[in-house]
Amino acid sequence: MEQLCDNSLGWSVVSQNKMVVYALIIINKAGGLVYQRDFAEGLNKLSINDYLVLAGTFHGIHAISTRLNPLLPNDTPSTTSRPLPPSGIEVLETENFRLQCFQTLTGTKFLLFTEPQQPNIENIMGMIYGLYADYVMKNPFYSLEMPVRCEGWERRLVREVRAVNSR
Amino acid sequence: MASSQPIKSPMGSQSQNQRSSQQGLKYPSNGKTIYHRPLNRSRTQELSQASFAYLFGEMVSYAQKRVTGIQDLEKRLNNQGHPIGLKLLDLLLYREPARSQTRPLHIIALLQFITTTLWRHLFSRPADALEKSSNPDTPEEYMISDNEPLVNQYISVPKEMNQLNCAAYVAGIVEGCCDGAGFPAKVTAHSVGKGEEGELWPGKTVFLVKFQDEVVEREAFLGR
Amino acid sequence: MSYYFAIIGTSDNPIFEYEFGTAKAGGDGVPRFPEQARHMNQFIVNASLDNVEDVQWGGGQMYLKKIDRYYNNYISAFITGSNTKFLLLHHPTTPSTTSTRASTSIPANPTSPQTEEAIKQFFVEVYENWLKTVMNPFYTQGMRIDSPVFRGRVAAAGRKYL
Repeated sequence: MEQLCDNSLGWSVVSQNKMVVYALIIINKAGGLVYQRDFAEGLNKLSINDYLVLAGTFHGIHAISTRLNPLLPNDTPSTTSRPLPPSGIEVLETENFRLQCFQTLTGTKFLLFTEPQQPNIENIMGMIYGLYADYVMKNPFYSLEMPVRCEGWERRLVREVRAVNSR
Repeated sequence: MASSQPIKSPMGSQSQNQRSSQQGLKYPSNGKTIYHRPLNRSRTQELSQASFAYLFGEMVSYAQKRVTGIQDLEKRLNNQGHPIGLKLLDLLLYREPARSQTRPLHIIALLQFITTTLWRHLFSRPADALEKSSNPDTPEEYMISDNEPLVNQYISVPKEMNQLNCAAYVAGIVEGCCDGAGFPAKVTAHSVGKGEEGELWPGKTVFLVKFQDEVVEREAFLGR
Repeated sequence: MSYYFAIIGTSDNPIFEYEFGTAKAGGDGVPRFPEQARHMNQFIVNASLDNVEDVQWGGGQMYLKKIDRYYNNYISAFITGSNTKFLLLHHPTTPSTTSTRASTSIPANPTSPQTEEAIKQFFVEVYENWLKTVMNPFYTQGMRIDSPVFRGRVAAAGRKYL
């Protein structure tokens, strides 16, 4: 992480050729924040309260965005499977970062903050979702919809994201 | 559906009369009982770890209901494993090649059977270490180490329960195996993945096998 | 020859009992114990458990061969890995003193090597079926076995080898 030369300036100073995953937020299906973690040093920190507000707000906007579809829903009733729900916000881009949102079928949302040019975000998201399915959902001590405090998940998540960041 | 009465199974009515005394839950409809199935399985047949993880997770949650404490929880997990050890002892001895199909007579022979044959059957690899207690006061203690117990793969024990190791279930299997073979013992699982070693194997578990005095006595009597 | 077969659990509790007669040399498979001695079979077999315990730590073999004799009753034993004992009492109908004739035939001579081997095969077959019972998830150690299929299998093994 030597490229993060000047911490005080925050995200914008990270050198452009280095692809970085900044942070991960997990929001449960009711809009509550269940997990938040930064993966790079010298990031702008929000207070816990602000993270909670952020999660709730994003949840609301996401819900609205699922209703904004200007096209008529194509009405081909499928007998074999239920159609996927409308996706809502998938990507939010700014000059300094990109926010990828992935919603699972059960309504849990993974928000990944990365560099704007970060490649393979789908793969990274898939890897994180896989770790979550293994080390959170298969853990008998995790209660659904509650904050994620699983040592095994934490350890592997940090290891995997660090590997992505140092690529 | 009274109208469907005349349509009988292809077995016909005479065979139905014959087996009328054998109807009921005890007999599967195809007539194949547990006695019709072979005891040997191919070596490569494996189960999905994910489905085991979900099952084991539910077993832990089930054991957790109305427990008085961590020791009680470990005791329950131990009890769940105990009959499996008993059964596997016989099954795996049966599957041994005819020449080496012998009952373990000594502690070492038994523990080697457990750390290799039993471990391979359950986890597809042998245990990582088998040691005898170096303390002369406890000659009845042996230690089996597993760097990464398969049952604990996806489990993160919360901080307030850090005494707990869910591999108590495996300890129960080992205990069942020892008890069945005539070496009554108490087996407990302990997490040792802390400090320097913990960097490499954070989930390292030691199974402490404490044989009862009579076993050690017999061992001395039989000679090695 | 008449046979009495019993499976004894780890706390010396009977798990399974079966009486049968030889099917070899024209036998009809019906046990012919003298009426006044028949009820003794259980006692004789139970008494031989001490002998099993004496020899079981001497070697790792499961088949312990003939371990006891009480008058004209011979007892062979087999012990599984989890210390369940299979005991077979065999009782020749005619005393084995007539060994001049057919001394190697299984039904006549309870001590010949042929008989020993036949009993071993019988035990091995029962062992396999017993193990299948044990692998039943609803079976716990020490439970009585009352499956008619198991009984049938034991009877078949008896007919086949003894």
